[in-house]
Amino acid sequence: MSFTDILTVLLLLAGASFFLAGTVGLLRFPDVYTRLHALTKADNLGLGLMLAGLALQAESWTVVARLLLIWVLILLASSSVAHLVVRTAQQKGIRPWKR
Amino acid sequence: MNIASHLATSRPRAWLFRLVLFSLVWWLLTDGATASWPVAVPVILIATLLSVRLMPALSWSVPGMLLFVPYFLWHSMRGGVDVARRAMHPQLPISPVLFDYRFRLPPGLPRVFMANIVSLLPGTLSVEIDSEILRVHVLDEAGDTRQELALLENRLAAIFGLTLSFVDSEGQH
Amino acid sequence: MDAVYLAVALFLLLTLVAGLWRVLRGPTAADRMLAAQLFGTTAVACVLLLAQLYQRPSLRDVALVFALLAAVAAVAFVRRAWREKS
Repeated sequence: MSFTDILTVLLLLAGASFFLAGTVGLLRFPDVYTRLHALTKADNLGLGLMLAGLALQAESWTVVARLLLIWVLILLASSSVAHLVVRTAQQKGIRPWKR
Repeated sequence: MNIASHLATSRPRAWLFRLVLFSLVWWLLTDGATASWPVAVPVILIATLLSVRLMPALSWSVPGMLLFVPYFLWHSMRGGVDVARRAMHPQLPISPVLFDYRFRLPPGLPRVFMANIVSLLPGTLSVEIDSEILRVHVLDEAGDTRQELALLENRLAAIFGLTLSFVDSEGQH
Repeated sequence: MDAVYLAVALFLLLTLVAGLWRVLRGPTAADRMLAAQLFGTTAVACVLLLAQLYQRPSLRDVALVFALLAAVAAVAFVRRAWREKS
């Protein structure tokens, strides 16, 4: 295993653990607002770290740029979804959970 | 509005930048397939035209943007680790709270951009933009949200080449 | 390396199965939607891992389309399904 391979494995594992944390958050957090926090974390970090790991193995720069484009698209989707869901939840009068 | 007058009023730099950007995206999507260029040229021109028409030219600085990328990545990482820890902790140590932040950025795209970035950073979530206020849902009330947001706002101001003042009524354009 | 890609992809599928619990429980349509949104991102990651594992660059196009559809699906949901059904 080369140094790049080791780095890829570490990045993939880190990404996977954020996907796990995102899923656990989605299951455990008490309301739609807090669950959105879990979602953005998996999108932003989980996918970002995984794509970084895969980019290290890419055969050309265009592949790296495509992976980056996928990440940016998912980020755009993620923040738009968060915005729409939160606004609709507010309009429906769903109160944020309080400890 | 007809195209000629629009060409005259919009800034050529924005045109050029978007033309290059869309060409680059097309090139990426098609993997540089030269056979696609007869389709690409009109599509890229229409996309550029529409984008300049729908989204006004905006001045932003390249160094400001370049400095923002590592900042965003670092804060994503820091916030993400914290939120992940809270999600996995047996006692689920979260205490969500709504926080009102008064914008210093001018209305329009800079504020929307800030709201989106706040939503993407783990631990904070934009709820709504209400005239001068950005309402933020914070996963845990510990930590200085006001200061964090103010620092973020400074970074964004640097991207758009703005200077922020604490006095809201002063026109800051 | 191939074993790593496969293991990570399988692990992601497992998190997806766990996420189905949220779809089952709800309680609101939006909670289910959030789970579906997470599945979309998970699918993108899985497909990209498989593209690397099987050396099939065309799978990256599939991931790109998934990423594009993720936004459209969610916007359509909020604007149609969740608003109208109170």
